[in-house]
Amino acid sequence: MNNPVILVPFDGSKQALAALPVAKALSEIEQADLHILHVGERVMAAKELRNRLGDQSSILDCLTIDVRAGTPAIKILQVAEGIKPKMVVLCRHSGTEPGKMLGRTAMKVLRDARCPVVLVPPERGTRSWHLQRVMVPHDGTPTTSAALLPAAELAKDGDAQLLVVHVTGIKAAPTKEPGSLTTPRYVDQPQHEWPSWAEEFVKRLACICPLGHLQVRMLLAHGDTASEILRLAERQSADLIVLAWRGKWEPPRAATIKGILREAYCPVMVVRT
Amino acid sequence: MVDAFNASPELLARQVSFHSMELPAAPTSDLEWILVEEGFTLAREHDLESLFAIGNGYAGSRGSLSEGSALSAPATFLAGVFDSQPGSLPGLVATADWSRLSAIIDGQPLRLNQGDDLEHRRILDMRQAILWREWRHQDEAGRIMRLRTLRFASLADRHLLVQCVTVTPENFGGRAFIDAALIGPKVEVTASGTTVAMAVAHRVVNHAGRWTPSAELIAGRESLELRLGETCRLDRIVALHTSRDTVNPRETADRHVERAIEDLTRVVDEHRGAWLARWKASDLRIEGDLAAQRALRFAIYHLSSAANPRDDRVSIGARGLSGTAYKGHVFWDTDIFMLPFFIFAYPEAARALVMYRYHTLPAARAKAAGFGYRGAFFAWESADSGEDVTPRFVAAPDGQVIPILTGELEQHITSDVAFGAWNYWQATGDDRFLVEAGTEILIETARFWASRAKREGDGLYHIRGVIGPDEYHETVDDNAYTNGMAQWNLEIATEIANFVAQRWPGPWQALSRRLAIEPEEPRRWQQVARDFYTGFDQRTGLFEQFRGYFGLEEIDLTAFGPRTAPMDVLLGRERIQKSKVIKQPDVVMLIYLLWDRIPPEVRKANFDYYEPRCGHGSSLSPAIHALVAARLGYTAMAERYFRQASEIDLSDNMGSAAGGIHAAALGGLWQAAVLGFAGLQFEGGRPEYHANLPPSWRSLSTRFQWHGQWHEFALPEEAGTGKRRIIHE
Repeated sequence: MNNPVILVPFDGSKQALAALPVAKALSEIEQADLHILHVGERVMAAKELRNRLGDQSSILDCLTIDVRAGTPAIKILQVAEGIKPKMVVLCRHSGTEPGKMLGRTAMKVLRDARCPVVLVPPERGTRSWHLQRVMVPHDGTPTTSAALLPAAELAKDGDAQLLVVHVTGIKAAPTKEPGSLTTPRYVDQPQHEWPSWAEEFVKRLACICPLGHLQVRMLLAHGDTASEILRLAERQSADLIVLAWRGKWEPPRAATIKGILREAYCPVMVVRT
Repeated sequence: MVDAFNASPELLARQVSFHSMELPAAPTSDLEWILVEEGFTLAREHDLESLFAIGNGYAGSRGSLSEGSALSAPATFLAGVFDSQPGSLPGLVATADWSRLSAIIDGQPLRLNQGDDLEHRRILDMRQAILWREWRHQDEAGRIMRLRTLRFASLADRHLLVQCVTVTPENFGGRAFIDAALIGPKVEVTASGTTVAMAVAHRVVNHAGRWTPSAELIAGRESLELRLGETCRLDRIVALHTSRDTVNPRETADRHVERAIEDLTRVVDEHRGAWLARWKASDLRIEGDLAAQRALRFAIYHLSSAANPRDDRVSIGARGLSGTAYKGHVFWDTDIFMLPFFIFAYPEAARALVMYRYHTLPAARAKAAGFGYRGAFFAWESADSGEDVTPRFVAAPDGQVIPILTGELEQHITSDVAFGAWNYWQATGDDRFLVEAGTEILIETARFWASRAKREGDGLYHIRGVIGPDEYHETVDDNAYTNGMAQWNLEIATEIANFVAQRWPGPWQALSRRLAIEPEEPRRWQQVARDFYTGFDQRTGLFEQFRGYFGLEEIDLTAFGPRTAPMDVLLGRERIQKSKVIKQPDVVMLIYLLWDRIPPEVRKANFDYYEPRCGHGSSLSPAIHALVAARLGYTAMAERYFRQASEIDLSDNMGSAAGGIHAAALGGLWQAAVLGFAGLQFEGGRPEYHANLPPSWRSLSTRFQWHGQWHEFALPEEAGTGKRRIIHE
């Protein structure tokens, strides 16, 4: 049986190098082959690509290098359609689009890829990356639990801790989805209510998204969802934030994912519900 | 293994006619009496297990799927059977899983979501107190199986749990393995030394007649023949006995179950008969509002399922016998929120509940002495002995470790217990209770307050450093509810002491000797009560909830809606303590309980002031607001709060019922309907109605007992359809 594949688009820019240590660590966890894809207006020679990778060039010794010409996003999606990668790992934006939340290519890949997409902030550079804590924001719906399956699998494979975060706020109407568990509206006695609630939240997640022997910690926050997730991620030293996304990008939707992608210091994996 | 048929499964299914071996009862079809869950949503299972729990006050069993699921938590609890491991707080013991039952056909266990669920329905039949299930399942080989089950905890014989299953292979015949083995020990001894024994008996009814299956068949080591289109029935009866109620629980359970399985039809009929009688006494009918009708019957069903008039050493925990949350601990929920239902609709159960408090007096005396007070200081959280079992801290999911001060500071529990006992006696006229137990409760609680309150420089008695019902504000001075109820407690104890001394001088002298009551002691209680600081401002007509409350930050709660989280989560502990936002009725609760003592304009002024400042962070809150709003004539507001209260368990998207039903909220809902919308009050010893029904309620009718006499009323009276009468039976 073939190993799973992690697709790593690389545009040759210095910023794009940030994706490589993350992709490499993920490939080790998932026992996956790396498939580096360079798409440019012209086909880049292997030697030039090695030069561009600089101190990350050793990665070339153990992976597939695919060099194609064309529009990057279209080619990436075409390749992904063909090789069915376990995930796509790429930098949030390239050197030509500094300051943007997401580059054009990353945006297109995020919206149209059929697999989880890991977006790496260029600021983290080429430092090595290890997966010890995976943070999964959760709105309490069964739909999100189902979407988080890849995150749970990754955490299990990497022997990482799973930090489940539920953020509540004002002007938040209750979800209509049956089986949802949001912040308890009534906390009659906190000494009983909070332990029961946290246990129930994790059990509901686990019945849809098996957690096995994963070490799980439940966290509750209140306020702006994106800000709170970022705050907790930093405080808990999360190595990866996994977001379940319903696929809507136009305002007022996707405020959380936009806020997190804009500010996250760590890689963000986006999985579609 | 199953012999599959070659013919089209659909065609065979249509040709099947059902055999007569059906269940020994039929479900109620009237929508006003049933809760129906169609289909299957895995993540809702814990909620449904609580909502569909069966119980009889001796035992309670969650409505778990017999074959289990990834989110099934089957549990059966026995009232009063707690386990206390060293270093942990006592919690209700979950006994062996008696209801487990699954079929394996051709190596494939029958499971929801595996294959095609053609029909799946669970029905809580509140009228008969039976949980029904109908399931029509097609496996991957096309075999269609129909299953019908019933399950109940007998109200006629509280030691019995019953389950019957019919299985009809609609388009196949063959053999099936049945896994119905008990999960857990048949006899276990808890850490506190209680022996729990469970005996099980099975019967199969099929084409071969009625026979006792072998242990091998029940354990799935042998297979059962299923014939095409023929219904096969498996009956299971479980008898539960403990060393709390018999010397040899194992033998008693074995003998009991052997007798019961021989006459299952009688067991079923007597259970149904017992519930019909229960409903005759306690049903509450609403015309014009199906949701309200169903919610009220749901409340009555679960409250009645949690009570046992034959055992006055147990009470009803915050979640009844329907779940593990709150560990079965007993709070003021029972005395103030649930007890009124029992007093008026099930007085013999009410007596057991107040007697439970009487039996825990030694622990309450020890607690008072431990804090340096006289009399009895009841446990904020009580289990079997009455010792305070409140946890000391909790790690909240926001990472904070919260110290829990309620066990030490929520002292109003003591007057709540006294109020419950007095309320019971007032409504029932049970003088024997008053003489043998009630007076002692009132005296010991009054003694506590007389030693707890301190006279200060202003010449008044104050209580400093407490938590009122509004638990957002801790360690406050002169909480209006605590002081008001303490004052009431002292006054009533004085009155009752004088009354009992005059009416029953012999028993009074005996009690005086036993409790070392000094002749001048009641006079001292009266004096303390007279000079109590109440926080009442004559100018505004307002009670200040506690010293300094009026100076706290105003927060407009409407700016936070809609919200799914309580206000203390949104504002944080520190800010909420500095604000006027309250968790639940505090002054409003005082007004409700002492309604006759408070002038109408004061009731209104305080409700108008405190209602907009209440964040309803407790499930106890909406129903009491509904009740008081209804009494004050705020009908639309009352209806809104009533709906909110009725959705605490029944809403399908809150998940709040997972750990068990909210028994106090259900008691509050009943109170809101009868004591709020119907406006039932007792004036000059006679029942009077001040009805203020929601517009959609064409009528409200019920029965209640007052001084041993059943009364019946139907409202509104002015519509010409109303009536009131005393029932002679």
